Amino acid sequence: MIDRAASRPWTAFAWAVLLVAVVVALTPYLWIVLASFKTRVDLFSSAPKWLFSPTFANYPAVFIGKEYWPLAINSLIISLSSTALCILIGAPAAYVFARADFPGKEDLFFFFLTTRMAPPISIAVPLFLFFTSLGLIDTIYAVVIAHTSFNLSLVVWMMRGFFAEIPKEIDEAAVMDGRSRLGAFVFIIAPLAAPGIAATAVLCFILSWNEFLYAFILVAFEGRPLTVGIPGLVTPHGTLWGQVAAVAVVATLPILIFTFLVQRQLVRGLTFGAVKG
Amino acid sequence: MGIVFDGISKVFPDGTAALHGLDLAFDTGEFIVLLGPSGSGKTTACRVLAGLEHPTGGRILVDGKDVTDLPPRFRGMGMVFQNYALYSHKSVYENIAYPLRVRKMAGTEIDRSVRNMADLLQIGRYLARKPSQLSGGQAQRVAVARALVWQPDICLMDEPLSNLDALLRLHMRTELKRLHRELKKTFVFVTHDQEEAMTLATRVAVLRDGRLVQFDEPKTVYRRPASRFVAEFMGRPAMNTFEGMLYAGMFRAGDIACAAPGIPDGPVVLGIRPEQVEIVDSSAADAVRFEVDVMELVEPDVLVFVRSGTSSMIVRTPNDDRTFAHGEPLFLRFPPAALHAFDAVTGARLT
Repeated sequence: MIDRAASRPWTAFAWAVLLVAVVVALTPYLWIVLASFKTRVDLFSSAPKWLFSPTFANYPAVFIGKEYWPLAINSLIISLSSTALCILIGAPAAYVFARADFPGKEDLFFFFLTTRMAPPISIAVPLFLFFTSLGLIDTIYAVVIAHTSFNLSLVVWMMRGFFAEIPKEIDEAAVMDGRSRLGAFVFIIAPLAAPGIAATAVLCFILSWNEFLYAFILVAFEGRPLTVGIPGLVTPHGTLWGQVAAVAVVATLPILIFTFLVQRQLVRGLTFGAVKG
Repeated sequence: MGIVFDGISKVFPDGTAALHGLDLAFDTGEFIVLLGPSGSGKTTACRVLAGLEHPTGGRILVDGKDVTDLPPRFRGMGMVFQNYALYSHKSVYENIAYPLRVRKMAGTEIDRSVRNMADLLQIGRYLARKPSQLSGGQAQRVAVARALVWQPDICLMDEPLSNLDALLRLHMRTELKRLHRELKKTFVFVTHDQEEAMTLATRVAVLRDGRLVQFDEPKTVYRRPASRFVAEFMGRPAMNTFEGMLYAGMFRAGDIACAAPGIPDGPVVLGIRPEQVEIVDSSAADAVRFEVDVMELVEPDVLVFVRSGTSSMIVRTPNDDRTFAHGEPLFLRFPPAALHAFDAVTGARLT
């Protein structure tokens, strides 16, 4: 009882900090959602307008009028393919890191992480030249490969923890039951790690879906995702903020949904299995 | 025909040597217990036999065929793990059925085998459950059922009973013995519990520091231990041992002196089982005087801890309501036939 009484001011303080953080984080998003339903006049009124008669014209104007809807399809193709590739390549690699012992294992594991330590822009130009010489520039494949390359290290790091949590006797039981090592992984271990794989996949999907820089550099027209489409609305004649907001809202929706669905596993994955339950 | 460990050595990548040229051969249909303290290599031996570890030297032969390089799935062995290792995402039924599904058996055949096995192990009621809904004993039965359902010739068990509570352990021990009798398969059972070894085994292989110390029937291991180590490892309480000198058929160690015929002169370790020490009158010719330290009731017996100078020992005697008070003198006799003599340096049996 005494403890609780003493901690009350701290609890209040913690709530206050959280509240500030939430307001800071959500206000821009709220602004975008509102802006997507505003007319140009409402958008540029000198005082921010909270009450206005909404217009639904921005959405059809950009997605149908400017033919932006294929960009959403592109975003989906890029995110799904790079996620699938990441899991297909990363999960077996993570499993090996969780189970096998080989010289330099921890060094190699750390090396994977270092690939994410450089600022993405520092390898943007080399990446551009690389894909140009491969003849993949301005194709959707370039973006898929680029996203796979930077998400792969994340998959290996997250998944290793999930696999390490599964006792190695499970592998051995599967092997004794008649599976090969590969069979044990595919048919027993992967299904057991499914929640972790799903969480990792969602994170990959979100990161790929959100990615702007590499996509912007690697594709201009064909295979443009939504994120790259937005700057296209910044024209010499002025920025169509209503339409920018409409695209932004559509672009953030899947992320909102996914994050709510798997937030628990996401936290667990990002702390490498430290949060139990 | 049978299983042969032919000079099996295992050195792990970190440099730990678990097995040093283990030689062991037994027949099919036997219940072999690999017994030893932790670090003796018994689990490694079992895992090498299973194919889960590759030996760094030697060969494994099954019915004359070299299986050393064969992956586990081609060896015809089932295995029960200490922590059960059940597939937590599958039902009990699917856990037991798994080895059959992997072997692409027909559905009706699978159903029949699973139900037979479940009945044999009395887990028929739990087939629909998930492993997380089982008690330790039930999970253990499922693990045994899964290992045996596809009728492997050899069933390996790595300390399968050590995670169970004492009562359940006794019960499962009897069950395993019954299973062995009914299925007539070769069982290889790893344990550090000498009681499990004594009760289950047709033959016990005692391991120490990666070497085979003795391989005999349980009663022989108990009655004629091959070394001081085996003598002290088998039996609860352990065999009493005294380090002393033997000269002309008389053994002396501190204040203790007793006749020990038929043993060569020199430094020797003399051993006697607590239950074979006789309590005699002070007037008896070959009585040795001890003083009572403490007594413990182990119904229907009583354990009397006695000492004499620096030596101490345990006497096990039927409880006839006699009390042994601390400091009370107690005269003991060591029947020559019950004495074991071991080499003072190597610990090897002398007689």
